[in-house]
Amino acid sequence: MTRRSPAELTADARSIRRAFLKMHYEAKAGHLGTGLSDIDLLTYVYGAWLRPQDVFILSKGHGASSLYATLHHYGRLTDEQFATYYKDGTLLPAHPAARALDAIPAATGSLGHGFPIASGLAYAHKHVHGSHARVACLVSDGECDEGSVWEAALFCAHHRLDNLTVLVDANGLQGFGRTEEVMKLEPLPLKWEAFGFRTSEIDGHDISKIAAAMERPADGRPHCIVARTTKGKGVRYMEDRLEWHYLPMSEAQYREAVDGLVDPRGDDKTGGGR
Amino acid sequence: MRVPFVGAVSEVLARDPKGMFITGDLGYGALEGLSSALGKRFLNAGVAEQNMIGVAAGAALAGLRPWVYSIAPFATYRCVEQIRNDVCLHHLPVRVVGNGGGYTYGIMGSTHHALEDLAVLKSLPNMQLFFPCTNDHVAAAVTKMAALDGPSYLRLAISAYETPRPALDEHPETLTRHYFARMARQAPGVTIVGAGHGVQLALHALAHLGLDRANVDVFGVARFPLDLAKDAALAASVEETRSVVFVEEHYRAGGIGESFAVAIPPVASYEILSASYDVDQRYGSARFHMQQCRLTPEALVALVREVAPATYAS
Repeated sequence: MTRRSPAELTADARSIRRAFLKMHYEAKAGHLGTGLSDIDLLTYVYGAWLRPQDVFILSKGHGASSLYATLHHYGRLTDEQFATYYKDGTLLPAHPAARALDAIPAATGSLGHGFPIASGLAYAHKHVHGSHARVACLVSDGECDEGSVWEAALFCAHHRLDNLTVLVDANGLQGFGRTEEVMKLEPLPLKWEAFGFRTSEIDGHDISKIAAAMERPADGRPHCIVARTTKGKGVRYMEDRLEWHYLPMSEAQYREAVDGLVDPRGDDKTGGGR
Repeated sequence: MRVPFVGAVSEVLARDPKGMFITGDLGYGALEGLSSALGKRFLNAGVAEQNMIGVAAGAALAGLRPWVYSIAPFATYRCVEQIRNDVCLHHLPVRVVGNGGGYTYGIMGSTHHALEDLAVLKSLPNMQLFFPCTNDHVAAAVTKMAALDGPSYLRLAISAYETPRPALDEHPETLTRHYFARMARQAPGVTIVGAGHGVQLALHALAHLGLDRANVDVFGVARFPLDLAKDAALAASVEETRSVVFVEEHYRAGGIGESFAVAIPPVASYEILSASYDVDQRYGSARFHMQQCRLTPEALVALVREVAPATYAS
């Protein structure tokens, strides 16, 4: 793939959101808010960052549908595969399946698993294979409640895994409430820094900011990017609303959602920060 | 069994450049040689078993073939979801090694005993279990595990009734050992089957309690899933005696004894001698714990006499 400009990637993210809404509407599937929260990050990962030797692990497995939509947009899932989402017999269930698709190396869905797996990949590539492969993984902020996340954080810093980038989709909402009300995580960047990570804090919907953070040169430490995001981003009535972790859309809601996805170059509804 | 394990796995890792050894901060006085020989392929993951299994899975996804070592309860229960999701669902060549199966850790207390490890792991998809009977059985298990392209678990243990006895036969695939053969084919007899080091109760009873005068077959099984189609001598014994006493240093529920019962045709008598937990239990050596729950060579002999009184010559 030729290198895509921030403007092209922003347009990609809008197309991916459109496909994402369609697949969820047709499947009558929930988990809308979480996917809309991370699509800009996934767009950058697959549209610009990932080289053939690199690995991406979606540790927040409930974002699978946004991953499928992104993979499909960039030609890593066929139309036929993509059309099976949520249907009986599919290889695209609501959380990524094991050994199902070449593009998805690890099954996730129970939180706190993908990051340790990514850590093992990064250790093997850096210290055993001596390769220049890079590893990225995406965790949710609620996922940071899991002890295994911090076990892995200790491990990565100790082994100086500067080939690893952890993206935290920090939308401030988790299963049953606001993250700060359920289990305080802030100051989240400082926690990662205290664990030995180089830390960036960015607007997780701004492609240029995502690019700047992900392309920062390695300095011997693993990198954590705390991406400040909005759950339900791009669909006005879903934004920052807990219920859209669970609900499917009605037909009227679907129409409204699609109509609201205006050109990001002319409007900040899908491109701006919070 | 730790010494023969380290010897066997060192040979495997010396031959396999994709091999890797990960310890959960254990192995003082045992793993130093491996550590210096393997360089970056040796990893101390610290006291963090969930991450340790995830790291092993990630390393396996990157083409490595890790052995992951800890005390049996820590290597299994703490991280069972990681073993299930990250290793078994992905069918990765991660070999989990638990030291101290059963009551091996004795006075260390119940947190250190592993009496459900096989039950927990045997239900996981793609998982193969190895539980050697004796020290000289460990290398064969390690060799088998090294050749697998999927997950496996090795249960290392020391029997409180350790009794050296050469096996009459060992199956090259199942690793099942035949330790003692019935004299009289036509007379009533009993097939005694031990799971791993549990068989040493029978070996002790043969050597010290006169069980050798009884018309019994003694087998040790060491691998799960069971494969009675391959274990022809064991299957034939069960068919002829139609009386089985199974012994295991493991709780009965979910143990290998229950699986063996459904792997064989219906028999006239099937008894399981196993470990148990009482909320009022006291603590002590492995032998103390076994006596407390009546998992002893004496109890085994009594059970054999009970199910087949005529089986004793005397």
